[in-house]
Amino acid sequence: MAEKTKKPEKEKKKKLPFKRTVSNLVFALRQIWEASPLYFVGYYLMTFIYAPLDFLTGTYLIRMIVNGVEKNTPPEKIITYMLIVGAVQLTVNIISNYFWNVVNAGMYQQIGAKIQKKLFNKAQAVELACYENPAFYDKYVKAMDEAYNRTRKVMQTLDDLIWRLITLGCNSFLLFFIDPWLIPFGLFPLMLGFVRRWINKLNHNIAVERKPIDRRIKYVRRTFYLGEYSKEMRMGNMYLRMLDELKATYVDFKAMLKRHALKRALAKYIQSIGLEVICVMGAMLYAVWSTVSRGTMTVGDCIVILGSIGTISYCLSNAVQTFADFGEHSLFMEDVRNFLDHEIKLTSPENAPKAERGDISFENVSFRYEGADDDTLKNVSFTLKQGEHIALVGQNGSGKTTLVKLLLRLYDVNEGKITLGGTDIREIDLNSYRESFSCVFQDFKIFSMSVEQNVFLRRSKEGDRELAEYALKESGAYDKIATLDNGMDTTLTREFDENGANLSIGEQQKVSLARVFAEDTPFAVLDEPSSALDPIAEHKMFENMMRAAKGRSVIFISHRLSSAVDADKIYLMDGGSIVESGTHAELMAKNGKYAEMFRLQAENYVGKEAAVK
Amino acid sequence: MKKEAKNKAPRQSVGRVLKNNLRMVIKVARLTPEYFFTMILEGVVWGLINSAYSVFTVKLFDALDMGLPFKDCALIVGVMAAFYLFAYAVDAWYWQYYNPLVKQKLHLKLHSELFKKAHTLDVACYDDPAFYNDFVWAMDESATRSAEIIGDIGKLINRIVAGTTLFTLIFSIDYKVSIVLLINAVLSIFINQFANKVSFEQEKEMKVMWRKRNYINRVYHLADYAKELRISRAHDLIMDEMDENTEEMVKCSRKYGKKYFLLYGLFNSVLGNAIYFGVMLYMFTRLLDGAVLVGAFTASVGMIWRVRWLLSDFVERITKFPKHSLFLEKYYGFLNFEPRTVSGESEVPHFESLELRNVSFAYDFTANPKYEYHEAGHKEQKNESEGTYALKNVSLKLNKGEKIAIVGYNGAGKTTLIKLLLRLYDPTDGEVLFNGVNAKNYKLDDYRAKIGTVFQDFKIYAASIGENVMNGHYREEDRETVESALEASGFGDKLRTLENGIDTTLTREFDDKGTNLSGGEAQKVAIARVFARPYELIIMDEPSSALDPIAEYELNQAISRYAADKTVIFISHRLSTTRMADRIYMFANGSLEEVGSHDELMAKGGKYAEMFDLQAEKYKM
Repeated sequence: MAEKTKKPEKEKKKKLPFKRTVSNLVFALRQIWEASPLYFVGYYLMTFIYAPLDFLTGTYLIRMIVNGVEKNTPPEKIITYMLIVGAVQLTVNIISNYFWNVVNAGMYQQIGAKIQKKLFNKAQAVELACYENPAFYDKYVKAMDEAYNRTRKVMQTLDDLIWRLITLGCNSFLLFFIDPWLIPFGLFPLMLGFVRRWINKLNHNIAVERKPIDRRIKYVRRTFYLGEYSKEMRMGNMYLRMLDELKATYVDFKAMLKRHALKRALAKYIQSIGLEVICVMGAMLYAVWSTVSRGTMTVGDCIVILGSIGTISYCLSNAVQTFADFGEHSLFMEDVRNFLDHEIKLTSPENAPKAERGDISFENVSFRYEGADDDTLKNVSFTLKQGEHIALVGQNGSGKTTLVKLLLRLYDVNEGKITLGGTDIREIDLNSYRESFSCVFQDFKIFSMSVEQNVFLRRSKEGDRELAEYALKESGAYDKIATLDNGMDTTLTREFDENGANLSIGEQQKVSLARVFAEDTPFAVLDEPSSALDPIAEHKMFENMMRAAKGRSVIFISHRLSSAVDADKIYLMDGGSIVESGTHAELMAKNGKYAEMFRLQAENYVGKEAAVK
Repeated sequence: MKKEAKNKAPRQSVGRVLKNNLRMVIKVARLTPEYFFTMILEGVVWGLINSAYSVFTVKLFDALDMGLPFKDCALIVGVMAAFYLFAYAVDAWYWQYYNPLVKQKLHLKLHSELFKKAHTLDVACYDDPAFYNDFVWAMDESATRSAEIIGDIGKLINRIVAGTTLFTLIFSIDYKVSIVLLINAVLSIFINQFANKVSFEQEKEMKVMWRKRNYINRVYHLADYAKELRISRAHDLIMDEMDENTEEMVKCSRKYGKKYFLLYGLFNSVLGNAIYFGVMLYMFTRLLDGAVLVGAFTASVGMIWRVRWLLSDFVERITKFPKHSLFLEKYYGFLNFEPRTVSGESEVPHFESLELRNVSFAYDFTANPKYEYHEAGHKEQKNESEGTYALKNVSLKLNKGEKIAIVGYNGAGKTTLIKLLLRLYDPTDGEVLFNGVNAKNYKLDDYRAKIGTVFQDFKIYAASIGENVMNGHYREEDRETVESALEASGFGDKLRTLENGIDTTLTREFDDKGTNLSGGEAQKVAIARVFARPYELIIMDEPSSALDPIAEYELNQAISRYAADKTVIFISHRLSTTRMADRIYMFANGSLEEVGSHDELMAKGGKYAEMFDLQAEKYKM
């Protein structure tokens, strides 16, 4: 069970070419620049002023004072200088404080929203197939989650880098000015690069090996905390099994830490000692020797050197980290960019004709999901005549849903074609094509918006109110809606409105059905409601659906054979093909698979003898 | 969705805060003493490291100023190096290896304790959405928080050690400077309060906005919405919503940003700079007077920011403890929560009969501990199901060997009935009698073990098929039983395609090579559970339409074959299985409406007949 789920080495971080890395970073920065150039400039200007000032008020001022005392510089001169620096520092401090708290706070939200909107716009345009491709979907989710944060991080990391370079420059200049021999001490941290790489590798290993362990813990937690498990967990010993699993994770965790974390401790120790003891103390000893024994340095110099060496070694060791951070940011930005650049294949030509009423034909259509081994639809042909009601029946997984997705052009066919009034639907304007359908899916969604908005799912127009009222009455939802405090303006769900209404599944379904009544489209796709409803409600819903569909061409996905009886034509699907078609009477007469299935179900209701008849 | 932790802290007395936190510390000391002691050790070591640099440099610079020989100065540097060699060794070992290890240990121990507690909870608690959201999740957070509390205490010790050392050092240099720093400390604490208040208000005001934003995010994240977004113009609507939302957020951020700046930022800048340059100026004059040496001068100036930082960090951490305390109270409340469904003493005899006598059941969530800790605003949230009866005065009896069917619409009380039979709930009024004795008198686990149940919303666990079928611990000698049970439930064909047979891990939760079953296959595994053990009573909550008509038919056949000589309760949502039953109980709105055999009820022409006819209509020709 708890076997080692060691991930193969393919998890290894991929590396981007240098040029792409830089271009990704520029891309991130451009997002902010485009949102507000002024803000962008202000942001970095702060650093360009602040970093040298920091050096001035800290290191340089101290040196000046100590040296001044030693060399008997007139105190007034030092005090004047002190006061000027103090006044400048105070002013800059206040300005930057205002910038961070007021300007930046607002811009943070604004730019974030802008970037997110860009992603959302793309998200609703990409093919549905993208959502079903796990590799793409993972990347997409990551891009959505991280896009803004990473953009900010790129900005901050660059800011850090600028800060460090300025600080490094000031301090190095000072050291060089005091005694060039100090420079090697400052450069020493660069030699510790291999330790840093080692630490990164160990951290990476730990992170990777920790993931499956965390996942196991989270799973166990779910089994105890989720209501859906609560009944069964009390009916057997599964809970003991789950607690054992929890204990097992600790053993694995400990082994994992032993493998990597002790090495990491050693590496960190080497790093700390290298920086703090060898580099800083070494420089300290040299400076003390120069001051006391050689007399080539003043006490003031000696004092600031200690601070400066520390600062330099810190800046350098972090600068290396900065580049590693850039690399990481760039990897994330790569996902974001790939997503934004993703070329949408499912489009219609410009100036394509709008969709009109007509017959829809599937001509030898085959379709295979990306990465699947088999065709989900195999050579399907049929025609939906204008005004006809057809029913699709068949087992789960027989291809009914896929067929509907192709019909709605959520996917494009691999082979064959679908035509509307003789024109390939790929040649018809996509939006107008999809808009000519009204759909109620089994897994329909209610949005956290007003009832009226949920009925239309588009920006509101003149006369919507009356239309929505009519549609809700027809679908049977109106009585319930009328009891809500704000009627049609009531927000559905309590996602962000405490006074929102939580409708039952059945009522939600009625609201979603109202969409069909509200828009007079030539086509309707109806997915039979599942057993979320009780038989009587289900029956009513079914009748309503059929009423809503009057005068349109309808494809009706039926899960119970009994509902298909009245259709103009029934298509029985099996294994991605249409295996039988005809009216109910024809299919029963044919005595094939449909007839067999129908009798099996009927048996429960009308008795064996009657069903066979 | 996990609810945002509410961090409005109602007024708590200092004693209460201390007591709650102390209790947690004691608990940590008991569960993982090693963590507790190393936390103290670490706090001291880092506290010393943090302040050592200043102490050593004062000595060194004073020595330079006094013109001591190189040997003496080098000795100071040497001691300093030796100190760091040791301190960093402790530090690296602790932070890189030992701390993550003991932290995980504590984490798991606390979790396991919570899980065990959750396991004893009444199922009704899970059904109460308020309890579930506000309570269980908050609980869970408390376990993570314990590590945070320990971390915070470690840091506090560190700040105290470092702060005291530095403060003593400054005091020994010039007591006036130390007084200024003390005043600074008091002022800082004071204005920090303002700042906290502002950010708290902002957080509160923006919470709704964030919720909206998160919702929008979710719509684009989830594949569920993708279809709907593509065939409607909902995208336009949502984008309008988002623009509005952004504008609100920007406005709110600016508003509080300004407040924050005026109350805190401005004052803090002035105070910080005044003290820094003031002390520098003052120490400069002392240096000119020769009252202090260079080391003392640089150290005291250099230490101002350090001390200020230590102080503000100290204050910040202190202010976290009331919040910790609040969470902890919930946590203790949870651990002390007394489940109402408790075990009896008697051994459970062989099944003879099961009876409900005048049973009523109403959800009653008032006894849940959450209310004690809730803010006023939340109490008003009405629970819709509360107080209304899910079952009203129901009586029914089942003898050994009988089969009964419970039918009715959704919400008629069928599922509640099963839960009462299984003692997942206890009735509000009336009794459940097992062999004529109140079921409460029996040992709970043994009682439940007598009854085999397939729930409508059965679950497959991330464990082997064998473990799934045996509902927990699987032993090698169970192999045959499991295999024949799977065969009986119709899983045999699928089983033969699996390389590892019943040792195959299900789901990919634990194992990337695990097998994901389809809905129908999973259902068969769940049903095999009932076949695998000699249960004396079986409850089948009719699994719904995961299966196609033929498979459903076959499964029904398998069940009726298996159940032929058993005592069975069918809970039927469609009426297809009711013909097997000796008696049918028709429920509506929590009451028993009709009882009788299929033929009797059809002849009666009541609700059952109406329901049946509706479903059968299309099959009759």
